[in-house]
Amino acid sequence: MALHDTAIVGYAETKIVEKSERDVWELGAEILEALLVKTGFEKAAIDGLVLSSSMTGAGNCFWSQTTADQLGLEVDICQTVDIGGCSPLGAIARAAAAIDAGLCSTVLCLYADTQASENNQRMRAFHSEWTAPLGYLGPPAAFGLLSRRYEHQFGLDYAALGKLAVAQRGHSALNELAVEKLRKPITVDDYLNSRMIADPIRLLDSVMVCDGASGVLVTGRKAAEKKGLSKIAVPIGYGERTNYRAGEAIVDVTESGHLVAGQRAFAKSGLKPSDIASFHPYDDFIIAIMLQLEMLGFCQRGQGCAFIREHDFTHSGDLPLNTGGGQISAGQCGLAGGGTNVVEAVRQLFGEGGKRQVKSTGNALVTGIGGIPYGRNWMSSVVMILTPNA
Amino acid sequence: MTELNDTLGVTREPPKPRSFSKAYWDATREKRLLVQYDKRSGRYQFFPRPTSIYDGRRDLQWRVISGKGEIFSYTIAHRARPPFQGHEPFAIALVTLDEGVNVMANLVHCPRDRLKIGLRVKPFWAPLANGTHLLMFEPD
Repeated sequence: MALHDTAIVGYAETKIVEKSERDVWELGAEILEALLVKTGFEKAAIDGLVLSSSMTGAGNCFWSQTTADQLGLEVDICQTVDIGGCSPLGAIARAAAAIDAGLCSTVLCLYADTQASENNQRMRAFHSEWTAPLGYLGPPAAFGLLSRRYEHQFGLDYAALGKLAVAQRGHSALNELAVEKLRKPITVDDYLNSRMIADPIRLLDSVMVCDGASGVLVTGRKAAEKKGLSKIAVPIGYGERTNYRAGEAIVDVTESGHLVAGQRAFAKSGLKPSDIASFHPYDDFIIAIMLQLEMLGFCQRGQGCAFIREHDFTHSGDLPLNTGGGQISAGQCGLAGGGTNVVEAVRQLFGEGGKRQVKSTGNALVTGIGGIPYGRNWMSSVVMILTPNA
Repeated sequence: MTELNDTLGVTREPPKPRSFSKAYWDATREKRLLVQYDKRSGRYQFFPRPTSIYDGRRDLQWRVISGKGEIFSYTIAHRARPPFQGHEPFAIALVTLDEGVNVMANLVHCPRDRLKIGLRVKPFWAPLANGTHLLMFEPD
């Protein structure tokens, strides 16, 4: 598959809010309109629709069809990607594969969720038998277990984790689309003193579920050139893994599928971690960022905290991190939340970061995390490397 | 240090078993711990699944095991939803059983200062309304 023969030619996102008074489809329509206006594509030119997972859409097994209907889209590929927080990046990979296979030419990847105001999901997994009877709070408990185990194996410097939380908050203060409640700077002490949710997971480790939408328009490189679109972001490497080490009864919870997904993405792109200009990892909990630094090879296993102490993650630093604030500081738009970091990476590559523009726009690395399994790490891991000029 | 709630006062809905987990729940009526065993690989698996996670074959055996093991990791819930709300803080442990599977459960009779990774534990069965029992652990 020639991933790099496709290009992201536009991005859009709504304001992230604590509870949306607007319907999820109205948010989707805002994304569609913004992309048409920005790129000059006509609606009729969009012949593919790939949606992220959506807690609002989760009760509807016709989610992609009915969304296409609401938006008046006539398409040759219509699907929802259901790998949770990995689904926004997964949607781009699937759009690129469909374009490369000649199934369609221009795909709207739409990430819209109003989980805070309308959550329609009904989980059918292990929970009802094996975790609900324990008072298990889902992701915070899973990351509590993971953090405690990491601390046992390698030691854990909570002030280093706090440094990441502080850097991301600094970025959301510069992001007018971030949820207002979180646009206030914090200190490492604020992080350390925030109340425990699932010890050792603190409040300021955690995302706040919000409502919002984002999206990108993906088309062939040649079509983009023909249209004279000078700002493009090309996926030059991608890796995806679901249920890493599924055939083992006991796994090291400090290791994730990003280890293999990252190797694949880097091999395809020809880049190495030290080449990465800005880093936009999926952040449902602060420690997930540190684990991904280790899994992707920015540092050795167990050296995540030391690496954090040595680097500057602000937008003007040597490894800019989630320069829009990430989900933890911009708000998590439900299962569409992975789109927030994807869109920010594309914005930076387009040189449209404004007050938070990074210096080097040579490339950006974006990741996803999706699903919390039983007593393991996380279910899906994706890694995509983008460049403006492949 | 705040002591941990053993959550025995929480009224839990008995879980609805699946076709392939019914044997597990039935055995808990007699406080027996049944775990699936794959005889080709000589390995156990937990939670119960419709097939072997090792080779995709369905001829799994149910074996009774002691349930002894040690704490692999733990977290202390300071926030919970009903019916656990108001019972915080309580512990959720991931326990490695001697047979080589990891099981999640609440802990009883475990003071906060004894709780650590590596602590040896044994089963404690908490009764549920339908006559089955919920697996918990206590220090061994």
